[in-house]
Amino acid sequence: MAVNLTQGAIEALFEDSPVNNPVLQLLNMRQVSSASGPPRFRLMMSDGRHSLSCFLLATQLNHLQEENLLEPHCVCMVKKTVTSKLPDGRRVVIVVDMDILQSAEEAGGKIGNPTPYNTGRTSPTQNLVSASPPSAAVPGTSYANNSTAGSPTRGRGRGFVGKYPMKVSPMKASPMKVSPMKASPMKASPMKASPMKASPMKASPMKASPMKASPMKFSTKAIPIANLNPYQSKWTVRARVTNKSNIRTWSNSKGEGKLFSFEIVDESGEIKITAFNKEVDKFFSLVEQGKVYYISKATLKVANKQYTTLKNDYEMTLHANSSIVPCNDSEGIPTVHCDFVPIAELENRDKDAIIDVIGVCKSAEDVSRITTKTSREVSKRALNLIDTTGKVVTVTLWGEEAEKFDGSRQPVVAIKGARLSDFGGRSLSALFSSTIMVNPDIPEAFRLRAWYDQEGYALHTQSLTETRSVGAGGTMSWKTLSDVKSEHMGQGEKADYFSCVATVLYARKENCLYQACPSADCNKKVIDQHNGLYRCEKCNREFPNFKYRLLLSANLADFGDNQWVTCFQETAEVLLGHSAETLGLLRDTNEAAFDEVFQRLNFTTHVFKNRVKLETYNDESRVKVTVMDVQPLDHREYSRRLLSNIHKLAS
Amino acid sequence: MAGILDVPKPRINCAMLSQHISRPVCFVGRVEKVHPSGKTFTVSDGEGKMATVELNEPLEEELSGVLEVIGMVSNKGAIMAAAYNMLREDKGIPFDLELYNEALKVIHDFPQHYPFEVAASG
Repeated sequence: MAVNLTQGAIEALFEDSPVNNPVLQLLNMRQVSSASGPPRFRLMMSDGRHSLSCFLLATQLNHLQEENLLEPHCVCMVKKTVTSKLPDGRRVVIVVDMDILQSAEEAGGKIGNPTPYNTGRTSPTQNLVSASPPSAAVPGTSYANNSTAGSPTRGRGRGFVGKYPMKVSPMKASPMKVSPMKASPMKASPMKASPMKASPMKASPMKASPMKASPMKFSTKAIPIANLNPYQSKWTVRARVTNKSNIRTWSNSKGEGKLFSFEIVDESGEIKITAFNKEVDKFFSLVEQGKVYYISKATLKVANKQYTTLKNDYEMTLHANSSIVPCNDSEGIPTVHCDFVPIAELENRDKDAIIDVIGVCKSAEDVSRITTKTSREVSKRALNLIDTTGKVVTVTLWGEEAEKFDGSRQPVVAIKGARLSDFGGRSLSALFSSTIMVNPDIPEAFRLRAWYDQEGYALHTQSLTETRSVGAGGTMSWKTLSDVKSEHMGQGEKADYFSCVATVLYARKENCLYQACPSADCNKKVIDQHNGLYRCEKCNREFPNFKYRLLLSANLADFGDNQWVTCFQETAEVLLGHSAETLGLLRDTNEAAFDEVFQRLNFTTHVFKNRVKLETYNDESRVKVTVMDVQPLDHREYSRRLLSNIHKLAS
Repeated sequence: MAGILDVPKPRINCAMLSQHISRPVCFVGRVEKVHPSGKTFTVSDGEGKMATVELNEPLEEELSGVLEVIGMVSNKGAIMAAAYNMLREDKGIPFDLELYNEALKVIHDFPQHYPFEVAASG
C-alpha cells in the first residue's frame, strides 16, 4: 500500500469537523438519476477504519466518472466538501473537489477492513437483510449468501450490503454490483424522485437490499395489480396513472391535513392510491396522468367503496418509504380504458348511469360561479360536445376543471366516468372521480378530429340537452322567421327556443325606457309621485331616485318574413350598444344623439336566440317572441352552415 | 369594352376561366407575384390555382392580400383587368378564399337559383 488513508476522516467529514485533504478510498459508486439536470453520483468512501455511503459527487466532478477515473477501490484526496442536511435531518457530504491519487488497479483492492460508520440512526436495513435469505437462495447468487451469512451486521452498511465478501472478488463481476447501478429501476427510485430529499443512507438500503441480493430478472419483475394483497411485503407494480386528483385539504375536530389520490392501471386491473400530507409534497408533482411508473412499498388495505368506483377490493396508501419511479417503457401497459358511448346513444341510457364519452368541444360557456345547496361556492362551465352521430350533449365541468378548461380551439374532450342526467333532456356532469382528457392521445380522438375538421363543423346539429338560458351556444336549433309561423312554434305547452340570423329593420324608441325601482333585484316600474319621490308597489317604498331599464320592441327580418320581438335590459343594451343609464341620459339631454343610436341599429344583422310562446292577454292570444341573447354574426360560420345546408338539400 | 362595369360579370375561379374566354368576369384571389414591369401579376384562387392578370397601365401602388378584379378573359386565359379593388384585411375578419370558392361552386351548380347574369354588377 503506497498510500495511507486518513483514518478518522469519515467521522470528521460526517460530523463536519475540520479535516485537511483527507485521503479516502472509493468503495462503491452508483448513479443517482435525477428527474432533471445532469446525473449525480453517490459514493461510498472508506478511510480504512470506517466507510460511509452518503457522499454525493458534485456535478462538476462528473467528468471523473465519465473518464472512468472513478472506479471502486481508487484512492482519492478529498480537497473540498460541503456537508448538507436533508429536510428530514439526514446528512450528505457533497464532494466538491478531489483528486484521484491511485487508480483502482494500483490500489489493488480494498484497503483495511472498514466498518460502516454509525451515523447514530438505526437503520431498518437490518430487518431487510434478515429477510433476504429467501431471495438470496435464488440460484446464482452465492455472493448474497456469503454476505448475509458471513456478516450479519453488514446490514448496517447503508446500502452496500454485499460489499464484505467483495474483498476477494472484483466488484464489477458481481451481480450485486450490476443490479443496483442500472438494472432495476427500483434501485434508483428514491433518488430519481427527488435527488436531494432521497437519502442515500436510509432510502437506499431499504429499496435496494431485498432486490440487490437477487438476480436482475427477479428485481425488475413487476407483479400484476390484480395479484396485490395486504399479505405481501415485497412487490412492485408497473402501471399507468389514469386519474389524478387535485390536492384536497380537510380540517375537522381531529385536525387538518391534505391528500391527493390517483388511480393506476395495468393489463390485469386497476387500483386507487392515496397520499397524505408529507407524501403529498413528495409525490404530487412526480405523478403525472398518463405516465407509467414503478410503484412499491405502499400499504394495502381494503378499499372503501364509498370513495372509489374501481374494480379492486383493495386500495393503497403511500407512506414515508413508498417508492414511485417513472418508467420509460410503457409497452404493454394499457392507456386509460374507456368505453365510449356514442352521444346519440345517451338517450337510451338510464339516468345516473356512469359513462365514458368523447366528443369535439363545439362550444363552451364561460366559467360561472354558483352556490351549492350547502352554500359552498363552486365554478362551473358547460361544454357542448359533438361526435360523429351528429348529436350534441352538454357536459358540465366543476371546480378547477371548469376554471382551467380552454375550449377556444375546439379540442377533443374525453371524459371517463361522467354521470348521465335527465336534466334538460339529457346532459352529462363530470364528477369528482371523472377523468377529463383534453385532446387525448387515442385513436378515437384522432378520428373525431379528422371528422370534425372535414365535415362535422358544418353539421346541422341537434342537442340532446335543452337550452334553458342564454349562452349555451351551438346547441340551439336554427330557424328562419317564416318557420315561426309555419311550424306553429310556441303553441305547445312549453315555450320553444330557436336561433336565427336576422336583420333589425326597426326598433321603437318610444317607451323603450322605463323608470324602475332602484333597489337591487327589483326591476318593477316605479310611479312618479311628482314630489321628487318614486314609489315601488312591489317593495312598498318610496325612493328619491330610480334606475332606467330597457324594454325594446324591434322588428327583425330575414329573407322570408319579419317578426316583432321584445328585448329586455341585457339584450337591448347589446343591440343599442349603450347602457340603459346612458340612453336615459341621452334621451333627456340630447335627443338627436338618442335618435342616432336607433338609426345606427337599423339594418344591422345579428344572431338572435329567441324564446317563442303563445301568450294570452284579455282573451287575445298572440305569439310572443323574446330575445334571450344577441351575438355578433360570424359570417364564416354562417356561410359554412348555409353551404352545408345547400349540399344537403342538393344531395 | 367601355361598358364592362355595366354588364353582368359572373364570378369565377381559375378552373372556370377557359369557359369564359372573351367574356367579362369577376375574379377574387390572393395576389402572389407582381411582374417587375408592374403591368401584370398573378393571383391564386381558393383552390390554390394561379391566374394571370394583365393591366393596361403599370401599377401605381403596392398590391397585397386579397383583391377583386373585373376584366375580360383573353384567349390565353389571362384576365385583362379593367378595374381592381383590394379587399382590406385590416378591418374585420380576413376574407376566407376557400369558403368563397365553395360558394362560387354552388352559384355555378345551381344557376336557376342564382340568376346573377341579369344583375348589373358582379
